[in-house]
Amino acid sequence: MDVTGTHIWYYFICKREVWLIAHNIAADQDDENMDIGRFINEQTYQRNKQEVLIGNIKVDRVRREDGQLVIGEVKKSSRYLESSRYQLLYYLQTLKKMGIVARGELLFPEEKRRETVELTSEAERQLDRAVEEIRIIARHPVPPLPEKISFCRNCAYREYCWAEG
Amino acid sequence: MKKTLYIFKSGELRRKDNSLYFESEERKKYIPIEDTNDIYIFGEVDVSKRFLEFVSQKEVCLHYFNHYGYYVGSFYPREHQNAGHVVMKQAEHYIDSDKRMTLARKFVHGSIGQMSQVLKYYTGRVGSGTGVLTQLLAQFKDTAKPLADAGSIEEIMAVEGHAREKYYSAFDYIIGNPDFPFEKRSKRPPLNRLNALISFGNSICYTMVLSEVYKTYLDPRIGYLHSTNFRRFSLNLDVAEIFKPIVVDRLIFTLINKKMLTKKDFDKHIDGITLSESGKKTFISELDKRMQTTVNHRHLGKSVSYRRMIRLELYKIQKHILGEKEYVPYQSLW
Ligand code: SF4
Repeated sequence: MDVTGTHIWYYFICKREVWLIAHNIAADQDDENMDIGRFINEQTYQRNKQEVLIGNIKVDRVRREDGQLVIGEVKKSSRYLESSRYQLLYYLQTLKKMGIVARGELLFPEEKRRETVELTSEAERQLDRAVEEIRIIARHPVPPLPEKISFCRNCAYREYCWAEG
Repeated sequence: MKKTLYIFKSGELRRKDNSLYFESEERKKYIPIEDTNDIYIFGEVDVSKRFLEFVSQKEVCLHYFNHYGYYVGSFYPREHQNAGHVVMKQAEHYIDSDKRMTLARKFVHGSIGQMSQVLKYYTGRVGSGTGVLTQLLAQFKDTAKPLADAGSIEEIMAVEGHAREKYYSAFDYIIGNPDFPFEKRSKRPPLNRLNALISFGNSICYTMVLSEVYKTYLDPRIGYLHSTNFRRFSLNLDVAEIFKPIVVDRLIFTLINKKMLTKKDFDKHIDGITLSESGKKTFISELDKRMQTTVNHRHLGKSVSYRRMIRLELYKIQKHILGEKEYVPYQSLW
């Protein structure tokens, strides 16, 4: 299975969602909230969007600083910071495998905030662990049980997860 | 929430710009497609291939009824929701006879539960016959018992049939109107007014569930209680068992008891009785209102409409077949 940035992003929010996405069970299309694609897009800053495609990863900004490549991801808020950080780390790791050493930047224009993300060996170890676990989750015959978290409130799977009763 | 569109007039349905456009002799009308969940066609309505492509792309089902209000068929656009894993699991629960019977029993269990809820509701409300209803309700408790021992789908079906017979025997007490005697269940064609109402209501209920199935990953051709022959839809028939008593039957009682439908709303034909056009309209508009009524849902922490409740029921079935959580049929509390 190809682990994508989307899987990584959800892994740090809800593991059940990872299973559902991996099984092509998309969320409720009529949900007043949104479907997955739209949600990710909303988390991403729309204005001045200039996506750059490198291999099969899409990044928002690319620039060169002190001879090093810097890739920037523009996000709407830092609410899902951990997810955003690992998603970007995953991109950095993918680039590294392509022989490109880069550094990352998370930009939160609305909060006038910027976070530097570096692919340390510790980060890589954690990322590898996440990728490995995503594969395990996806191979599992049944999805992990839902757990009520704050994300559920805006999650398009909400009705599916909590349909009992 | 998206709406259901009902067309009684004759005319033509077309795509115009990015909208639905209905043209009849009397008037022309644009209907926003983004707001449309499904379309019920009762009149003589012409559609073109271009129109079908349009509704298919917008994921809208069409349900056709003939002049008498008999269900003709549905235009169920090619599956847009597709998760091989779900269909595979759904088939597995059909092929494995233990798994299939487990689900079939659950549908009957749910159906009996809902029928007894209806009886309970009316026991204290009927003019005369409280005693008979109380007694019936007591007997009714045992009707689900043989389910545990039923060893085949036919036996499970028979348990359902037996319960339903008992249940129908209460109708004359609940209605108490000489214009609407139950007599006996007659379907094709309905031989009296009450049967005409039941048949019409049930067919609408089947298509309503079908429209909801369309929004999930389930394949409507694989049913458990109602057998699958891959030529017609059957999962919707299974799930409708849970909703017929509280949605259709209770609506019928209200319509008759409040005199919203009377003798005048029926037409007699050579071989049977059907609802007249005005009768169908009254029925549909009241049903539609009822389906939009919301009730509080404990788990979701918000109110959901009855229409939505059907969807949630399908989600529960999907979870059952995925092996996540055993299906427990919806049990109405009123
Ligand atoms: S509703 Fe909650 S448990 Fe279900 S997928 Fe969304 S976040 Fe996960």
